[in-house]
Amino acid sequence: MDSLQKTSYPYRMVAGVDIGNSTTEVVIASIMENDIKYLSTAILPTTGVKGTIQNVDGVLETLKVAADQASIEISDLSAIMLNEATPVISEIAMETISQTEIIGSSMIGHNPDTPGGRGIATGITRHIENIRIEGDVIAVVPAEYDFEEVAEKINAAFDEGYSITGVILKKDDGVLVANRLKKTIPIVDEVLNIEKVPLGMKAAIEVAGNGETIKVLSNPYGLATLFSLSPSETKDIIPISKSLIGNRSGVVIKNPEGNVKSEKIPAGSITMADKDRKVRVDVLEGAEKIMQARSALDELEDAFGDQGTNVGAMLGRVKEQMSELTGLSDIKIKDVLAVDTFVPVKVSGAIAGEYAMENAVLLAAMVKTSRLPMEKIAQALSEKTGVYVKIEGQEANMAILGALTTPGSDKPLAILDMGGGSTDAAIIDKHGNIKSVHLSGAGEMVTMIINSELALEDKELAELIKKYPLAKVDSLLNLRFEDGSVKFMEEPLDPDFYARVVVVTPEKLIPIRGGKKLTLEKIRLVRREAKKKVFVTNAMRALTRVAPDGNIRNIEFVVMVGGSALDFEIPEMISNELANYRIVAGRGNIRGSEGPRNAVATGLVIHAREG
Amino acid sequence: MEYNQELVDLITQKVMEYINREQTEYEKRSLPQSGKLLIKESGEAPSGLYADEVVVGLAPAFGVRQTETINGLSHYDVLREISAGIEEEGLRTRFVKVYATSDVSFIALTAAKLSGSGIGIGIQSKGTTVIHQKDLYPLTNLELFPQAPLLTLQIYRQIGKNAARYAKGQSPTPIETQNDCMVRPKYQAKAALLHIKETELADADKKPVALEVRFER
Repeated sequence: MDSLQKTSYPYRMVAGVDIGNSTTEVVIASIMENDIKYLSTAILPTTGVKGTIQNVDGVLETLKVAADQASIEISDLSAIMLNEATPVISEIAMETISQTEIIGSSMIGHNPDTPGGRGIATGITRHIENIRIEGDVIAVVPAEYDFEEVAEKINAAFDEGYSITGVILKKDDGVLVANRLKKTIPIVDEVLNIEKVPLGMKAAIEVAGNGETIKVLSNPYGLATLFSLSPSETKDIIPISKSLIGNRSGVVIKNPEGNVKSEKIPAGSITMADKDRKVRVDVLEGAEKIMQARSALDELEDAFGDQGTNVGAMLGRVKEQMSELTGLSDIKIKDVLAVDTFVPVKVSGAIAGEYAMENAVLLAAMVKTSRLPMEKIAQALSEKTGVYVKIEGQEANMAILGALTTPGSDKPLAILDMGGGSTDAAIIDKHGNIKSVHLSGAGEMVTMIINSELALEDKELAELIKKYPLAKVDSLLNLRFEDGSVKFMEEPLDPDFYARVVVVTPEKLIPIRGGKKLTLEKIRLVRREAKKKVFVTNAMRALTRVAPDGNIRNIEFVVMVGGSALDFEIPEMISNELANYRIVAGRGNIRGSEGPRNAVATGLVIHAREG
Repeated sequence: MEYNQELVDLITQKVMEYINREQTEYEKRSLPQSGKLLIKESGEAPSGLYADEVVVGLAPAFGVRQTETINGLSHYDVLREISAGIEEEGLRTRFVKVYATSDVSFIALTAAKLSGSGIGIGIQSKGTTVIHQKDLYPLTNLELFPQAPLLTLQIYRQIGKNAARYAKGQSPTPIETQNDCMVRPKYQAKAALLHIKETELADADKKPVALEVRFER
């Protein structure tokens, strides 16, 4: 089968090609006897979905770059070695599992930037023109009133001895009105749909001082005291008080029919099966339960969701997409990674455009198909180049061969190959036996979590936030990095960056525009949590599966390779976690020069030498 | 994507609806005001020592020789909205008059350099406005509102708010404004005249002057 005919050439030129989810990597080497001389390497983005015929264009392009660097023609190669990437495609989808809904016209969680005054007040809601009435009154002010007019009217009412305890404004005039009043009362502004505020109802307003959050309205017993609620009514208002936690201001209106409901949406169950067993988990139970069920099983035979449910539709979509891409009909899901996340969702029935962070589960599903599409790629590649193309052993085995070129590494050794779509682990023992595992969930999932939790709606920006550290532009002449270090600029920065949080890429700064909610600390927290949720979870999962006797403590050394091993904090997070099990882990340095990149491509060339 | 007349009409209609909605809403809001703008000069403007101020630099003719902007907003309303925006964010407004130039960028930079927070707003009599920061080059800026005929009182309020947020070291979203390529041909002659009238009052040797501004109804 081997057309390489080792004996007939004094040396031969071989290319190792690794098609990954995000990048295609190539190494060209000349092999003489047992000597391998690496001539060049190249890396370009993968075209199309990994394991499909669209990859050929990207492979050709990358080969061309590497060949140019080595000053050879592609036709000079005696063989192209392709990884047997049994096409593994990860698809991620998100399912919202909780929903807050306002029935009637209570208001919840309204958090304007600049409320006025401070304190807590209760009273009956009255239109600003009708505030002269006995008892405590909360004035409701539509947009057509100017702030001075409002202040005059309320001051006049004060003078006549009426008790105005708080104000609800449509316009953003809270501070302006507060500054002109004779007494300090709480004022909530920017209530968009003020016409929906019921008049003549008992309401409570609370505004906290700068840097503080409200305490009474966010406490169910506080609300119960203000509105003299019965124990069963108190139970009903828990969603209201919960939604107000962390706000600087809030309004609660007691409307006989009004209510706030926080309910869970039936998202369906996911059923996972291995050779012997079947497990069914309700997605509502969250990522942790799903992952517990997953780890109780061996390699999955398939996974599916209930028909007619969200999760069923999602898994169905993954399979359908895969079968379209590969032209195969029988698609099975081989692994699932679930992660808990939050998505900002507009509260239905809200009167000030309120948002609530709803719970969601993010699922990365991995599909494994047959070898067939890979053979198509090989054939197309061979036709276009005229070079013999060979599909070589399993990806993880190749990665381990490549990883062993890291100076200081030796068998037995475990590797973690962290890419864009999947996380692989493999272990090689003293005798060269290799065991490997292929799991779904990697870099792309992190990007998706960042994108949704920060509500960026910009995948490219989320990708940049994932890859590079953050800084805040203190002034146009200095940058304060997330670690606290400061860098002074020689030239003033572009004014676009003024006071912004920026992503610091090697080439330039990229401003993040998102208002006050996207502080540097918040973005950093979300980024790090996303990486932990995906990579640390998957590293533990993958290594446990390949570890001798299934015990992760039996592993001594782990070399991290793959694109995500280049990340500025992921390897550190994993090393820290693995240190708890007395495992030495570090980033690979393929051939002492490539860093964690090119492990599979290099492994392929080494494998070619060994025949 | 196919373009046809129907689609273009539909988009135009939607855009106009949006614009008109915004305007009527604001029109309604601004009705009850307008009064007398009292401006008194009180010696050379000092440099600010406190970080809780935004300095608003007025062009030479502002509020004196000219009393409304190119699209007829009274200077009283414009200044009141800007300072209301600043006040709503919890900062103070200080007014100065810049005589040295009628160029709005330089007026804004002069204001920024006098400002304790380093943030200044420059405004010409015809309404063109710039938010500036003291470390910037004159012809760069934080936010520029070049098409004065399209500015509304709502936008002036926003300008005040955003300037104050920059002064607080926050990262405000730049204000959305309309852009209309017909504004230039339509208003060019008027803008030129107003600018010439403004420039006539400029005096390159005169230092910025502190102003006491009162809004009388």
